[in-house]
Parts: sequence; C-alpha cells; structure tokens
Amino acid sequence: MNLRALFLTLLLAAPAAIAADAPPAAFNSNFVQTRTLPGFDAPLTSRGNMRYDKVHGFHWEITAPYHYVFEMNGQTALEELPDGTKRDLDPDQNPWLVAVEHIFISALSGDRTELMAYFDIHIEPLPEGQSVTLKPKPGAIAKAIESIHVTESAPGQPERIEIAETSGGRMDIRFTPAAP
Amino acid sequence: MRLPAAARWTIWLASLGLVCGLAWTRLDLKNPVDTDILAMLPAEQDSGALAEATARSREAFVDEVLILVSGGDDPATRAAAEAAGQAAATDGLKTDSTGESLDRLLQVYEQHHYALLDEAAVARLQKGGATALATDVAVSLGSPTGMVDAFGNDPGGHLTRFLSSLPRPYPQFLPDGPFLSALKEGKRWYLLRTELTGGAFATTGSSQAAQAVRDARAAVQRACPGCAFAATGAPLFAEVARHEGQVESEWLTLASTLLIMVLIAWVFRSFAPHVLAGLQLVASVLAATAAVIICFGSIQVLTLVFGTTLLGIAIDYAFLYFAEYWFGGSAPAEVPRAVRPGLYMGLLTGVLAFSFLLLAGFPALTQFAVFSVAGLVEAGLLVALIFPVTLTRFPEVPVHAAVLWPQRFIQAACRAHWRRAVLPIVALLLAVPGWLRLHTSDDVRELQSFPPELLETDAHIREVLAQVPPPGFFLIEGKDLSDALGRETRLFALLHGTVPGAVPLGLSRFLPSPTQQEASLATWQQLFADPAALRSAYVRFGLPAKFADRTAADWRAASHAPLDPGALFAAAPDLKRFVIPAPGGVALLATVTGKADIDTALLNRATAAVPGTTFVVPLARIADTFRRTRLRATWLVIAGYLLISALLLWRYGRREAPRMLYPPLLALGVTLGVLGWLGEPVNIFVVVALILILGLGRDYAVFLREGGAGQRSPALAVTLSALTMLCSFGLLALSRIPVLHVFGLATLVGILASYLSAPLSLAPVRRNRP
Repeated sequence: MNLRALFLTLLLAAPAAIAADAPPAAFNSNFVQTRTLPGFDAPLTSRGNMRYDKVHGFHWEITAPYHYVFEMNGQTALEELPDGTKRDLDPDQNPWLVAVEHIFISALSGDRTELMAYFDIHIEPLPEGQSVTLKPKPGAIAKAIESIHVTESAPGQPERIEIAETSGGRMDIRFTPAAP
Repeated sequence: MRLPAAARWTIWLASLGLVCGLAWTRLDLKNPVDTDILAMLPAEQDSGALAEATARSREAFVDEVLILVSGGDDPATRAAAEAAGQAAATDGLKTDSTGESLDRLLQVYEQHHYALLDEAAVARLQKGGATALATDVAVSLGSPTGMVDAFGNDPGGHLTRFLSSLPRPYPQFLPDGPFLSALKEGKRWYLLRTELTGGAFATTGSSQAAQAVRDARAAVQRACPGCAFAATGAPLFAEVARHEGQVESEWLTLASTLLIMVLIAWVFRSFAPHVLAGLQLVASVLAATAAVIICFGSIQVLTLVFGTTLLGIAIDYAFLYFAEYWFGGSAPAEVPRAVRPGLYMGLLTGVLAFSFLLLAGFPALTQFAVFSVAGLVEAGLLVALIFPVTLTRFPEVPVHAAVLWPQRFIQAACRAHWRRAVLPIVALLLAVPGWLRLHTSDDVRELQSFPPELLETDAHIREVLAQVPPPGFFLIEGKDLSDALGRETRLFALLHGTVPGAVPLGLSRFLPSPTQQEASLATWQQLFADPAALRSAYVRFGLPAKFADRTAADWRAASHAPLDPGALFAAAPDLKRFVIPAPGGVALLATVTGKADIDTALLNRATAAVPGTTFVVPLARIADTFRRTRLRATWLVIAGYLLISALLLWRYGRREAPRMLYPPLLALGVTLGVLGWLGEPVNIFVVVALILILGLGRDYAVFLREGGAGQRSPALAVTLSALTMLCSFGLLALSRIPVLHVFGLATLVGILASYLSAPLSLAPVRRNRP
C-alpha cells in the first residue's frame, strides 16, 4: 500500500470507521497538528480546518504558518500550494486516490472492513465516545507505523489522533469543533 | 513381378515399423499433441526486433492463470484465498512474487531518488529554486496525503510522487500480502496471480493448470462454502481446446468408422472387408501421424481432427478393390490388374493435389499435407501389397439390389438426354447469386471454439479487474536506450492527452531516460549549491533552518549517479522483457491497457507523431498472413489443377480429358454457390476443401473411365467412396470449431455434387445402342 494512501486512510478513515453505529454525515473541526521528528527537539506546529460533507467532499486547510488546501470529492483531488498554485491530482497518475476515496466513503458509512484488512483494532468505551487503537498488521504499513490512537469527544467526533512512527517520529492532531 | 505373400507382408510391416520407429525417436514426449494454434501460423517476415517483441508480448500472458476469490466475510474469504493459493502451489503453479520485487525496487529507487524528478518537477524547482523546495517540504508536512516519514530522505515527497505514479497491474486492487485485494460491491475480492512453469500449450502444462484450478476451487469450497471462485488464463483455454479437439476427434472417428462398417456389412455381407478396411484405416492414420511427428516432433490438435477425414479418402482404394473382387466378375488373381490403373491414377492425383499444399508456406497446411500424403500412400501400399494375398478365394456373395443400384444410376446418368446438358447449367445458374454473396474470413479466432461459460468467466474477471487486455503493443526503436526511452516518454505523454482511459505500460515508467535523470540531478545540484538561500526559504515557511541543513547533508551523502538500467533489472528482472536488442540500436516493448476497448486508430495516430514508434496488432497481422496464405493457396490449387489436367490430357487425350475435368469444376462452382447462399465464409480451410473436391471429382472420373462405362464394380466403388466421404465430412460439418464446420460443409456439398456429376465425365450413350 502506498504511503500517501496509507496516511490519508489513517487520518480520515479511522475516527469515522469506529463509529459504526452512528457514522457522521458531516463534520467540521479546527485542528492543531504537532509533529515531532527524530533528531529535532522543537516540534512543528500547524493550524487549520478540516470538514466533510457528502456534497462538497473532504476539505483540509492549513491556515498557519502558511496557507495550503487539499480537497477531495469523488475521484478527483485538488491542492492549492502556499504560492497560490493549484494542482489537480489526476487519478490516472495517482491511482491511490481512487482507493483512498473508496476507503474513506466506506469508513463513513460505518464499514470497518477496509481498515480491518490492514489493522488490528482495539476499542475501549469512554463516557463520551470511544478510544480506539489501531496496530498495523505485518506488511508495508507496519514498516512505517507503530500505532494510531484515536480519542473521541462524542460518538463519531474525533478529539485527538496520535500516530507513532517506527522512525521515532510522532504526530498529534487535536480537533475542536468549528463554529457552524 | 509377382512377390510372394511373405515378402509383401515383410515389406509392408517393415515400412510401417520404420516410419513409426523413426517417429518415436523424434516424438516430443512432453507435448505429443500440441494445442498452440498460433504455432501453426506462418512465421512472420519481420525484423528481428518485431519478431522478438511479438514473441515476448505473447509470453507475457500465455502462462498466466488468474484466480479470483470473493465473499462477504473478509477473514473467511482471505482464508479461502490462502487455501486456493496453497492448492495451486501444490499442483505446481508458481505464485506471483511482485511483493518481493517491489521491495527490491523500492530500495533501488530510494538509493537513486535524486535522479527521479519528472519533467514538471524539474521545471518547477528550477524556476522556483529554494522557495519551491521549501514549499514542497511544507506541503509534505501539512498535507493529509504527505508522507509519514517526510524528513527521512525525501524532502518534499518527490520520491513518493514517483512511486505513486509507478504502474500497477490492476489499479483498483491493492497489494495485500501474497494477493492483490479490493473491496467492491460489498464484497472482498482476492486476486491470486499464478503462472505455469512449463509451456501453457504443452499437454502437461495445460492439464497441470486445469488440475490446479480444480483443486483450488475445491479448497475454496472447503474453506468457505459461501465464497465465489473464478479463474481464467491462456492455459485453461488451451486445456479446453485440447480436450474439445480430442473429444471431437474421438467421436468423429468412432461415428464415421461405425457408419463405414455398416455400409460394408450391407454391401459386401462378409467379415473380410471389415478386417481389411479396419487394417487399412489404422495403418493409414498411424503412418500419417508418424510422418507428421517425424517432420514436426508433435502433432497439432487441428491436424488430428482433420486427419479423421482421411478415413474417408483412404478407404476409396479399398472400395475400388473390394468392388472388383466381390462383384466385378474378375478372377481373384486378376483383380489387382483390373484395379491398378484406377488405383494408381487416383493415388497419383491425390498425392499431387495434397503435395501442392506443401508450397503454401503455412505450417498448418504443411502438416495437413504431410498427414494426407503419408496416409494415402500407406493406404495405397496396403491395397497393392496385402489385398492380393488375402483375398484369394472366389467370393460367394450374390449380386443384390445395393450393388446394382449404383450401376443403374451411372448407366441412367450416362444416357443421352437433355437433362445431362440442362441440369448442370441450372445448378450453375442457381449458384451464381451465391457466388455474389461470398465473403472471406481470415480471423484466427475461428480456429478454436470455447465453451460460453469459459468466455463468460473470463469476461467477468476482466470486468472485476476493470482491465481489458491490450489490443497490441508498441515497438519503440532508438539508436540507444536513452533515445528509445525518450521517445517512449513522449509517446506516453501524448497518449495521456489524446486517448482517454489509456494506461500505458513500458520501461520509461520505471526508468526515466538518462537525459531526464541528468536534468533531475542537475536541478538538485543547483538547489543545494546555495545553503543560505535554502535555510532562508525554510524559515519563511516556519520550518527550522536545521531542516535545510539536514536536507543538504543528505544530498551530500547520497549517490549522485543516475539510476543504471543494470541495477534496476537486478532488482526486478521481469523489466528486462521490455528491452529488445535491435540491429543498430535498441527497441522497447510497451503496451497500453484500459477499462474498455481502446480505439487502435487513436494509438496509430499517436505513434505517427513520434518517430521510431509503431503500434502492432498481432491479430490483424495474423489475419493479414491468413489472407496472403489463402490467396497463395488458391493460386496453388489452380496450378495443381492445371498440372493434373496436363496429366489427364497425356493419359486420355484431348477429346476425353476435358470431359473428365468438367464435373469437378461443376462441383466446385456449386459448392461455392451453396456456401454463399448459406452465408458461410471462405477461408484458408475452404480452399483446402476445394482441393479435396477437385481431387475426388477427378478420382471418380478416373475410376469410372478406367473401369469402363456402365460396369458394375467402378460404379459401386465410386458410390461407396462418395457415401463414406459424406459420412466423414458430413460429421465434420457438425464440429463446434468454426473452421472445421465450414470445411466439413464445403466438402459435404462438394462430394455430393462431384458424385452426382461424375457420370458427365463419361461419353453419353444412346438408349437403343446395343
């Protein structure tokens, strides 16, 4: 599995897939993303907004320290780079897009099958929502990822995603509901 | 000179034994019956590169067997797929090692990642400099599609983008352990790619594949009764073709033999003709098969099926002898002398007619010719050597109605009457509209017939995999590998813009051209030449300056050598298949796939725009070869006919010979007319049928002429010959193999017309003549 597809799968599909009973039809959250990289003391922090609905698809926008947009709807995807350049991601040249889109839609409809093909899933109920740990099954993903931990603030609403990489790096994304 | 019986038996047995013994030493024991129809086609007069490309494009799929297991319960379906894989491996199918190759490939690409920027990335980084690189790094960090290990050794995710664009065999299926898997229609699909270690068209290879698939299916049913199983691949088609050919051959042989035995019993009412006819048939087929094996090492399944028709031809000589012996009135010792002229003339013209097929330059027809000539010679030899020493007593079967009827028919047809002139003209006039409706067909796919369920399974699997087999392949020639890779890159870029849905596959998608790699390395060199600018650009995006230093350090430590084809091929040996040495340069083999059929006109238009590139459609080339061979064979038929006409002119003179040549031509005209009326195509095998019709028509004329007009035994021999031929070829018309069906139909009509018109070869006799 391609690492690009892998990352998007982890980031997007995991929180939604666990909420099989009540998958969200739409969500809109601000986030703070912190990356700790091996060999560097100071973490890198970026802020932005993530939203999804069935009409407009998925929207990921970094607002600081630079501006970047990633949008995906159906089998098409678009990037807007910090210098304002827009870049279409052609499904023919980026076959992972099709797979990612499928995984994403499946996960949102409460289907964990795709995720279970690649991860062992451990779920712990919380007073509000659940805590989910994904451990990669042996294969390409396990070479890059040690574990993914997702904490919900409410069913289907991720509050925090922590990703531990085999390289020693870590990623921590915290979500807060955006104003409607 | 009269040879004693022992000498005759010795000569006959020794000759047959010698032929069979020689065949045994030449026999390809692994592949005695060959089902590879394409091997029967003429060798193309291609350049070395084109011939090699054709062979390699064929090798790429002929050994592959695809197994697809699907089900709603993922763990159970996976377990079933694993069971299928184990069963297939136990039966000798080699499972795909793409996963291992990919790991090795990734290592090689990682070592040379600075050489892998594409044209657009080079342009962007050269234009934007350090800022562009810092942008890419920031995007890699911030994008949800960015690499997890973005700061390993791939700043900006450029290597990731290159890896993402690598071709995948089935875009909707992702690598999943030993499988490729996908989730479609609410079900999990596991694709197992296996291949034969032996040849797909060898008997053992195709049987092995079929057995492996049967075992895999059983394993899936045991592991997951609710799971679905499907398999396809050239070896499975080859196995079906072999099985169908053998079954048809067996039942055609059995049915025609039974019919002939009934006919013999009805006419001769003795046991001896059964034994001698059976001996002759077995010996003829044995000698014919042995001769083919001596020449080719194995026998083609099509030749085997076609050979069953020899039963009808070979027995003509026996009938000629039997008719004279039982009902001709000659003493047993005089029978050989009485039948000799007809036998020898029939044998000579038959052998001559089939020998002309040797000149057609078509391996299939060459095998048919060798088979037929050897079978006829053996049949004639047996009649000439053995019959006289076995049929020595006076027969005791009285003349009965079945014997008299043919004589009466011939006598009636020989009477001078307006019908003798008018009926043939009417038949020809009726045939004319049929001639105008005739059409030709040179489609190689008509050589085989496959069960609909096999074709449906194949179509279903292709639909699930969302991939239609390519219609052909590209051949890209250049003065060296760099030149060829550059041309292929330009061609693929053009296809991307002009042929919607086309997914090209070629070496350039794995190995950028040396020019492109040099440009990539030069770009990086330029970027890292000014560390201060790089630091400054990183800081502007909120990235620590230390990141820039680390990126630059990685550049300094990395290999700056371009990716060498040798290193790539060492990691993924299969990629070597794309490269074909050519005189004065190198050629690349490439192909194109899509979710639906691709318009080859668009592909041809693309190749026209890039020098040194061509798109080759093997099926069209084979059809063209068939067309040329059909035309050549037609001219050979005409040449052979003229030669035999000269022979008849020499033997029978200018008055009688044209009359003897008229009925076969009439039969030929009627046959073509009927084919036209029925909408059947004229192909190379119909031309063979026409040769047979002309040959038999001549035989009938010669037998009747040599035996004497109105005589009982030649009339009986000709009638029995026609009836047995009708039995054989009539059955062949029922074949499910399209070419055999039309061949049988043409011969059926032709023989009927030849028999009915045979009396026209004799001079008309007035009723009141004594």
